[in-house]
Amino acid sequence: MTSTVAAPRRRPAEIIEQSQPSAANGQTKQSLLFALPKGRLAQDSLSFLEQSGLSIPTDTESRKLILPAADGSIGFVMAKPRDVPTYVEHGAADLGICGLDVVRETDRAVYEPLLLPFGHCRLSVAGPAGAAGVTPAESVEAADLALKPASSAHMPGTPLRYMSQPRIATEYPRLTRRFFAERGVNAEIIALGGSVELGPILGLADLIVDVVQTGTTLRMNGLVEIRTILESQAVLVVNRASYQLKAAEINRIIKRMRLLTT
Amino acid sequence: MNGHIPFGVADYFWDEASRRQSLLDQLMETFRGWGYGDVIPPMFEFDSTLSAQYDDRLRSGMYRFLDRDGSTLSLRPEFTTPVARLVGARLHDWPMPQRFCYGGSVFRYLEPQAGRQREFWQVGGELFGAPSPDADAEILALTATALKVAGLTQFRQIVGHIRYYRSLLEALQLDPQQTQQLQWALERKSEPLLEEFLRVTPLRTGQRQAVETLPQLVGENVDGILSLAERHIQNRGMHEALQNLRGIVDALRGYDIQDSFVIDLTEIRNLGYYTGVSFEAVTPGLGTAVASGGRYDDLVGRFGPPQPAVGVALGVDRLLVARQRQDGHGAAYGRQRIQPALALPQGSPDALAQVQRLRQAGLHVQVDVNSWPLDAAFDYAAETDISDVLLWEDGFQHHRRDEQGDFVLLGPLEMSRLSGRTAKCREEPSK
Repeated sequence: MTSTVAAPRRRPAEIIEQSQPSAANGQTKQSLLFALPKGRLAQDSLSFLEQSGLSIPTDTESRKLILPAADGSIGFVMAKPRDVPTYVEHGAADLGICGLDVVRETDRAVYEPLLLPFGHCRLSVAGPAGAAGVTPAESVEAADLALKPASSAHMPGTPLRYMSQPRIATEYPRLTRRFFAERGVNAEIIALGGSVELGPILGLADLIVDVVQTGTTLRMNGLVEIRTILESQAVLVVNRASYQLKAAEINRIIKRMRLLTT
Repeated sequence: MNGHIPFGVADYFWDEASRRQSLLDQLMETFRGWGYGDVIPPMFEFDSTLSAQYDDRLRSGMYRFLDRDGSTLSLRPEFTTPVARLVGARLHDWPMPQRFCYGGSVFRYLEPQAGRQREFWQVGGELFGAPSPDADAEILALTATALKVAGLTQFRQIVGHIRYYRSLLEALQLDPQQTQQLQWALERKSEPLLEEFLRVTPLRTGQRQAVETLPQLVGENVDGILSLAERHIQNRGMHEALQNLRGIVDALRGYDIQDSFVIDLTEIRNLGYYTGVSFEAVTPGLGTAVASGGRYDDLVGRFGPPQPAVGVALGVDRLLVARQRQDGHGAAYGRQRIQPALALPQGSPDALAQVQRLRQAGLHVQVDVNSWPLDAAFDYAAETDISDVLLWEDGFQHHRRDEQGDFVLLGPLEMSRLSGRTAKCREEPSK
């Protein structure tokens, strides 16, 4: 009887409400809940919040799902980066920080008032260096495998629209599909959960679309960047209802953050 | 036959069904109380009728199918267009204003991860034939009243005016790409995107200031925001939009609900057919709007003589979730604690006659149709949360379940003892 009627929409908030320590119950009702991304952006996000003069949780390694700020003013959820816009869209969290790449990929209805000065990277199309006439420095074996794709030209400087049906491994299927569709190319998107660089090496894909920071990972796997799809950095996202219902508190936070971004 | 149902639709039953139905009834009754009459448009009609005025987002979300004669049909994705068609095509010579209210399912194709059903319920009202701010104010006040009836204590109505933005666009004379850029910046309330727009778009000083000021045209200080906006008027349309908003605010004074309003002149993300004031109602604990509406003076004219119109639709599903969050209830499924009494007539026609009298008195009574012995009736009653079992012995003997779950004989049935219990069972779902 439970599974039929429990609409999926209720899940995130329910989980949060249930796992909330009872002491935090009263305060999260009125004050703010902030969703932060685990992983790459976590430390930068926390330092940035601290610089902005917000009280941050003292114990971020805790296994508790909701962490109160040191002064109890705000609650924090450490979420998978991809889930941050979802939490915020549904109002499970009032605000969140995540990468612009994730915001564009997930395409959730949230406000995004500020870009934040960290987490800079780019979402790029990359392909085997061998195909571009460059011998990869690393592994000859990998280069041999990389030549396997039968698809047409994908060298730098060659229009992507010359490709017929490139197979593209990515964690960003939506942005990838759109990028190629805009060029009239109907790409075959192979959605992976990580390590997309393996795609060309194993012959699974002709190209990859992935986030690049320094390019080291690409080079190590014999790949070169061909195009940039999106310049990304961290962004503040806000729930549309909270923006109005908790305008004073949220504007105060935006104002403080703005001082650090301009 | 695996008994599955398609993604995006749901079976509602037990408490959830009765809560849903009674909320729908309460809301409809509220609209009726303001002079709105029931209308029941068809569940599907010609696609060309429904989709003409929608924006891309709603149009791509419609369920379409072919009729046997080859015409394209759509399931209604909302009620406003069907009701506007009715008034434009068939009721155009009936005295205006005309007020209609409706309640029922609408259908939209939504991505599975959107976290929403594809069949969901709306209740709403439409007021035709009145262009005045008083009509807009009535719809806003009625919305606030309906939200209170639905049990929401804290909510805000975010009021915008699409004409202000559209007139600004006219003044700016942007190309489609620039328009897109500005719209995107405003929809996402993104300062960096707005700065980028201002950086790459050549504008005259006054126009530039009008755009720069947009993000400040949001907030509770209605009067202050309208005054600020008035300083950056570029053309007649912007002026009229603000005049109209002032008129609405004035017309709302008598309703005593102004504290629930927020102005947002940058809120432009809305159904394509609005021409004037538009609004959304939001409530804590729910990230999306529980109601939305506005003025659409160009829609009726598509189907007949033009008529000004304004209306609102409330999302029943979202109201239920919002109320549940607000009251801190658990999940919205389960069974009402008190079920209708179970009567065992023991084959006596007199017993059934007595049951009929109880029912006429407004009590909920179910009759044993399996010729159960008392033990079997108690077992069934215990498992299905029935508290009252009535056994016919030349008159009903009343057995009541006690705290331990055992049935105790109270003696001959006194209607008052039963009515207290069953009246509660009727009220329970509406709370």
